[in-house]
Amino acid sequence: MDELTIAMPKGRIFEEAYELLVNAGYDLPKEIDDSRKLIVEAPNEKIRFILAKPMDVPVYVEHGVADVGIAGKDVMLELDRSVHELLDLGISQCYIATAGLPNTEMNPVTPRIATKYPRIASRFYRGMGEQVEIIELNGSIELAPMIGLADRIVDIVSTGKTLKENGLVEYEKIVDITSRLIANPVSYRLKQDRIQELVEKLRKQAMG
Amino acid sequence: MTIEMFEKPLGMRDDFPFIAKKKAELRTKGTEIMQQAGYDLLQTPTLEYYETIGKISAIPDKALFKLLDSQGETLVLRPDMTSPIARVAASKLLKEKMPVRLGYYSNVFRAQKREGGRPAEFEQMGVELIGDNSLYADAEVIILASAILKELEVESGRIVIGHTQLLQSILKEFGLDERQIEKVREALVSKNSVRFEQLVGELAIASEKVEVFKALNRSKTLEDWKQWINFTNPEQNALYEEMLKLEKIIDRNGLSDSVTYDLSFISHMTYYTGLVFEFYGAGSGFPLGNGGRYDGLMNQFGLQVGATGFGLRVDRLLEAISPNQENSAGTLILFVEETEQEAHEEAQKLRAQGEHVTLQYAPAVQAIDEFTGLFKEVRRLDGALNG
Repeated sequence: MDELTIAMPKGRIFEEAYELLVNAGYDLPKEIDDSRKLIVEAPNEKIRFILAKPMDVPVYVEHGVADVGIAGKDVMLELDRSVHELLDLGISQCYIATAGLPNTEMNPVTPRIATKYPRIASRFYRGMGEQVEIIELNGSIELAPMIGLADRIVDIVSTGKTLKENGLVEYEKIVDITSRLIANPVSYRLKQDRIQELVEKLRKQAMG
Repeated sequence: MTIEMFEKPLGMRDDFPFIAKKKAELRTKGTEIMQQAGYDLLQTPTLEYYETIGKISAIPDKALFKLLDSQGETLVLRPDMTSPIARVAASKLLKEKMPVRLGYYSNVFRAQKREGGRPAEFEQMGVELIGDNSLYADAEVIILASAILKELEVESGRIVIGHTQLLQSILKEFGLDERQIEKVREALVSKNSVRFEQLVGELAIASEKVEVFKALNRSKTLEDWKQWINFTNPEQNALYEEMLKLEKIIDRNGLSDSVTYDLSFISHMTYYTGLVFEFYGAGSGFPLGNGGRYDGLMNQFGLQVGATGFGLRVDRLLEAISPNQENSAGTLILFVEETEQEAHEEAQKLRAQGEHVTLQYAPAVQAIDEFTGLFKEVRRLDGALNG
């Protein structure tokens, strides 16, 4: 009952989020090899980490197998899961934007949009009154305009380097993205004190 | 797309025998408690008009199962029980004898858009207390719901209580207009604290009040609520007084440790106008049920009376119930042609004592060991030794 399960995204966000927790005063194991392990215990704090694919973090949290989790706002917008969004951690800053080959117009009839974020892309173009065909890809989105699969892509931009290297330019910025602390609605009620403590400790770090 | 013979429509489930059995137990226990508290059980039709129940139910349109009847009218599979019961109460039979206490155990239908496995049909049990505006009615349904949870041995159950009308009044007091209140409401309903805090920056709230406002989604006790209440405002004062009285009743029923008073708690069900509450248990990642006061809904049926009630989701209760209540299988009597009569008489005798007895013609069973393994006790009248 006392133990808190935290779903963490593997990869880039993990390092930043873990550091944030350590700086917030949590006594966690020094080195974590996040490449293979799926569950990591931090017995001193009665915390258990689940290491998950970033897109899966809100799923674990929604189902309550993780009490809280750290998820990018991009994932939250795309998945629209019913979880509490407790705190903007301010880490892993980036934004979602449209991009394409330089000096190109979109196909006037039905432009094609390649993306990992079909919901976000669809909502954005619908909001502009554009009829588009969304093509869902799982990676290397930049390839799509280069080989003529799509007119535009909708993707995460952090430094803009990947776009540049592939000869693409940014067109419209859609939304700013940071990582968020999320909680399962039931855990939030049953473990409210522990979760609130976590929020306050991380809030101090996020602001500082 | 071809449909395989064993497939079912999206979100529809078979209840296998052990689930069906558990549900039956749950139903018996739950409805018994309701009836002990003076609630009469009723059933309403599976199909209702889209124009009436479909629109009033506060369930999003795309979650409704719609179909046409032979007159071309649009029908819905009932998406909730509260609005049909309000319809019944508002129509002929019940107007004269308010307040009325009605209970139900029924299946409801809500189409799922994600993950085919989520149930689109599930059972709810609950009560509606119609025609009583007092806080005693609210207290009654909360205590009744927790009595059911207790009887079902739900582990570490928790109740969160909020108050829609009081929250609305407090938000006005902060100088917010209708549109801004709606935005705050949305952030609170979707439990988005980040959005909520962003909004604080966008709204024109006096700087000395900002911190107080921000704390709004962190209250746990009625004592916490005091910081937002303007006691010179008669509406707020009266509502708060009522909350204190409610708390006393709840405490007296031994629930003081399991209740959180969160002023920012509001339901996505827009028809709740006053007290709102939700139930949680350790075994399920989803709320077990919810309820509240819905005077506005009764007005839609042309009745100016108050009403309050709750609904519990049976599928989630099943997850939250402690698993120790292992169902013991009954007795098996295996017979052959010569012992058929003896076996029947033996079964009658045991059944009369309340035992569950399965009679089986032994030669029809292919794997005797596996089959007998399903039973607590086996009597072999088929010539083999009793083991």
